[in-house]
Amino acid sequence: MRTITTKTGWGLVLPLVLLYLALTIFPFIYTIVISFFDYNLAKGGTARFIGVNNYIVIFSADRLARDSVRFSIVILLIAVPLETILGTALAFLIRGVKGEHTVRTLLLVPMMVPPVVAGIMWKMLFNFAYGPINYALSLVNVPKISWIGDWFYSQVAVVIMDIWQWTPFVFLISYAGLQGIPIDLVEAARVDGANAWDVCRYVELPMLLPLILVAFLLRLIDALKLFDIVYMTTWGGPGSATHSFSFYIYKVGISYGWDVGYAAALSILLLIVSSILVNLLIKMLNLNKQLGLETK
Amino acid sequence: MKRTRSIIKLGKYILITVIMIFFLFPIYWLFITAFKPSNEWFAWPPIFFPRQWTLTSFIGGGGGVYEIGSIKDALPYLRNSTVVGLITAAFSTIVSAMAAYSISRFKTGGTKLAGWIISIRLLPPISAALPLFVIFKSIKLLDTWLALILTHTLITSPLSTWILITFFNEIPKELDEAAYVDGATPLQSFFRITLPLAAPGIAAVAVLALIQSWGEFLMALVLTNSPKAQTLPIFLGRYITGWRVAWGPLAAAGLVAMLPVVVFGILMQRFLIRGLTFGAVKQ
Amino acid sequence: MFKRMLFALLVLGLCGGLAAGQVSLRVVCSPDNADALKWIASEFMKQHPDIRVTVESISWETLYPLELADFAGQVGGFDVFTWDVMTAGAVAQGCLDLAEFRKQHPELVDPNWNPEDFIPMVRYISGYWAEKEIGAPFYNNTMLLYYRKDLFEDPAIQAQFKSMFGKELTVPTSWAEAVDVAKFFTKKYNPKSPTEYGIALMFPRTHTLFYMYLLFFGPYRRSMLAKFGPVDLDWGDYFTADHKPAFDSIEGLRALQDMQALMPYAPDPLGSDYGETIEYFARGLVAMCPQWTGPYLEFKQALGEDKVGVALMPGRSVSGNWALAINKFISVEKQKAAFLFIQFATSSYAVKGKFIRFAVAPTRQSTLNDPEALAVDPRVPVLQETYATETNRPRIPEEPKLEDLAVGYFSEMLLGTKPLTLETLHELALKWLEVLGAK
Repeated sequence: MRTITTKTGWGLVLPLVLLYLALTIFPFIYTIVISFFDYNLAKGGTARFIGVNNYIVIFSADRLARDSVRFSIVILLIAVPLETILGTALAFLIRGVKGEHTVRTLLLVPMMVPPVVAGIMWKMLFNFAYGPINYALSLVNVPKISWIGDWFYSQVAVVIMDIWQWTPFVFLISYAGLQGIPIDLVEAARVDGANAWDVCRYVELPMLLPLILVAFLLRLIDALKLFDIVYMTTWGGPGSATHSFSFYIYKVGISYGWDVGYAAALSILLLIVSSILVNLLIKMLNLNKQLGLETK
Repeated sequence: MKRTRSIIKLGKYILITVIMIFFLFPIYWLFITAFKPSNEWFAWPPIFFPRQWTLTSFIGGGGGVYEIGSIKDALPYLRNSTVVGLITAAFSTIVSAMAAYSISRFKTGGTKLAGWIISIRLLPPISAALPLFVIFKSIKLLDTWLALILTHTLITSPLSTWILITFFNEIPKELDEAAYVDGATPLQSFFRITLPLAAPGIAAVAVLALIQSWGEFLMALVLTNSPKAQTLPIFLGRYITGWRVAWGPLAAAGLVAMLPVVVFGILMQRFLIRGLTFGAVKQ
Repeated sequence: MFKRMLFALLVLGLCGGLAAGQVSLRVVCSPDNADALKWIASEFMKQHPDIRVTVESISWETLYPLELADFAGQVGGFDVFTWDVMTAGAVAQGCLDLAEFRKQHPELVDPNWNPEDFIPMVRYISGYWAEKEIGAPFYNNTMLLYYRKDLFEDPAIQAQFKSMFGKELTVPTSWAEAVDVAKFFTKKYNPKSPTEYGIALMFPRTHTLFYMYLLFFGPYRRSMLAKFGPVDLDWGDYFTADHKPAFDSIEGLRALQDMQALMPYAPDPLGSDYGETIEYFARGLVAMCPQWTGPYLEFKQALGEDKVGVALMPGRSVSGNWALAINKFISVEKQKAAFLFIQFATSSYAVKGKFIRFAVAPTRQSTLNDPEALAVDPRVPVLQETYATETNRPRIPEEPKLEDLAVGYFSEMLLGTKPLTLETLHELALKWLEVLGAK
């Protein structure tokens, strides 16, 4: 029985593993190798070996790289936690409300909207001279805000767009989790004299916590890759205010003439940081069981 | 006592309404812009309800300056997005389900394999873009559906596998074993016992994969270069520089780009909710 | 039975032959050129029924990397394409040498094509790189100052201006003059102003800022030839005659200060790009708008022809040309068809037609001198003068990287997150030299 199951076991994972090997091993090795070269497609495309020069430049002379890190951190520390808290709070908030089903359906829509389309929507809303948001502000006598052209507000704008798009995702996970909490637990608590708030605090939240943390982790991983929204609205500006790291890699590697070697070095750094961060978080938040990664 | 309760309730409803406005207004704005004539796209005060409804942004013409192309231009892209999206959803889900079942039931590869699969999600698409371009070019698969399907599967399957592993973990092994006792093969036990129980998870994963594939922009940008295989986000991405941003047609295109996947997602939401529990809570 | 099969095969063969005889060309272009090219394609196909032409419009942000990727991979995924003048050095690797081609296929050359008719500077910058003829000039774009003619000519407004500033209200001919005019038309500083803002400026962190800077730096660069040397058409006004960054000077700083001086009178200058400023002027929000030639049609439609005035750019204008080129990596058969297409698209017939129908600024002298053109588009005299005095951006392959660096620095200096000093400009210049030196 054992040999059969092991064989079947490997047979089942084979397609996935093969696909990954084929499509990730080469890119990974290629990226590492080419990061040690000066390879620029706009300059005729001959690669020149320069050792760790790309990395040295990134750490010493590339101010824009450092600014990109700054903004990526802003997203990680502000947008992601806000989304997580807001999404979870929403799940609790709409329970038992009249028309819960409709509300829930509508709340899920933003995460289904392609990020490119979301960019278009918000670009119209944030328009300085004619946008509805500035109009609403003018109704309460607040002067118009330059959402795309101001160092501070452009970052706020990107954070808002990210929250808009992804809070529904966290909401979905929390809501799904809440649905699955056994009623008897809740009822037992009620019998013991707990009110709604106590139930929430002592029964539901603790049970929901692993899920919330998983959602948080997922959002964290994705936030490091933030690209579409910046591309469609602020283009990294003004100055370097909203230059996310992925956007910077895109500019270097594709948009401004395929400086492949340098972009590869930046990518490797991003990968290293992401892995360290994620592994750290998994350990800290004790998510191994959640991810099915524990050894039984 | 009753008073405070109804005040809280009222406050709750107001809060929910405000939140709903936040999440739905941008979509509403896109919708009405698609139907507004050009002189209403930008006005002060903004026009919150079109005074004139027009289909020009969709059917084209417009005369005068804009020479608006009709939405028919988007059809090839719509076709590509649909084909790539559906096949990716199916393929990615099947392959992930197989792997997840294997890992959950047989502990294939232990934590190392599972960990590696999930870590693929960390890969920033931007760094894989050029090497993948090189790979696909050398096997003559540039500008094809297959290239996008494979790439999108690569992007969506780590999460799918992860979700399904936790899902399968929650289905008691005893059920499988009971089936073995009754003389079923592992395959039969999978199809008759495990699969039906895992259906919500599998459906959820498929829907997520479709949503992700539909909205994917960067890889499509790099790996395709003609309407033969380009997807809707690329069709929209053409307009990002300011040149003559005809907001009406852009909004119309945006609507067309988002409607199918949103409608589909709404229809399948029940599965999303039942399927994304990450095994944290017992079924 | 056998006879029928033979007949069927014959028919199929004929169809196949016809289909094979049909060549299809894929033309990719930026949106600026799309309308004109679509019209040209339909005209072309009437004369050449055996060639099918499809025109695809792709935004330059997407098109440029696409072109480079195609050339690097030698894919040949499209047949004809447009390239922006500043990318000449970078795209040259993928362009078919037209002069060589003409020698090899003299039967395809149209004797009436007359390359001497092209405005000389345009012919060079949108045609040649490193001694190769890599393109045919297609769009001779340049920037003009659009202004509200009705407001500038209104006696009541003129009187107001005189009483406030003690001089006549005239369309500004320098940026210094523009400051007072812009202030007058900004409600915040003049509550009686007919418009909300004086001028629409676009200083966003995109390509746009790179050429807008030249509008302000150009006058200094061109009036101090003793200091900077003559302008090289490959390196442009950003460089001195010996290929050093010219903005690394007190004049470079003054240009930024001139830009800053106008910013209070513009709506959201750092957050507005092309599309936004066009809306501002078209909706009557601003009194003046430096813009390219294309938006003229929209302004006319939105405001009415009598309200739109066109003048020479204060400071200096900048060139923004597009060329049509043939992808080197396609089959010879397609190259032939492509050559015929480009030749047609840049013939005097096409140039005049484009100008009259789509306001695509002409590349040929003959069009500019044509009375019909003048009748349709009153901007011709201003265009003539602008072409004679406009500035140029670099065309070297490093241009994209240099542009990104410059735009980043300028944007930050105007924003205030970097000091607006000579030191900062010098820092930028050093970065430029690094990029150029690291060859």
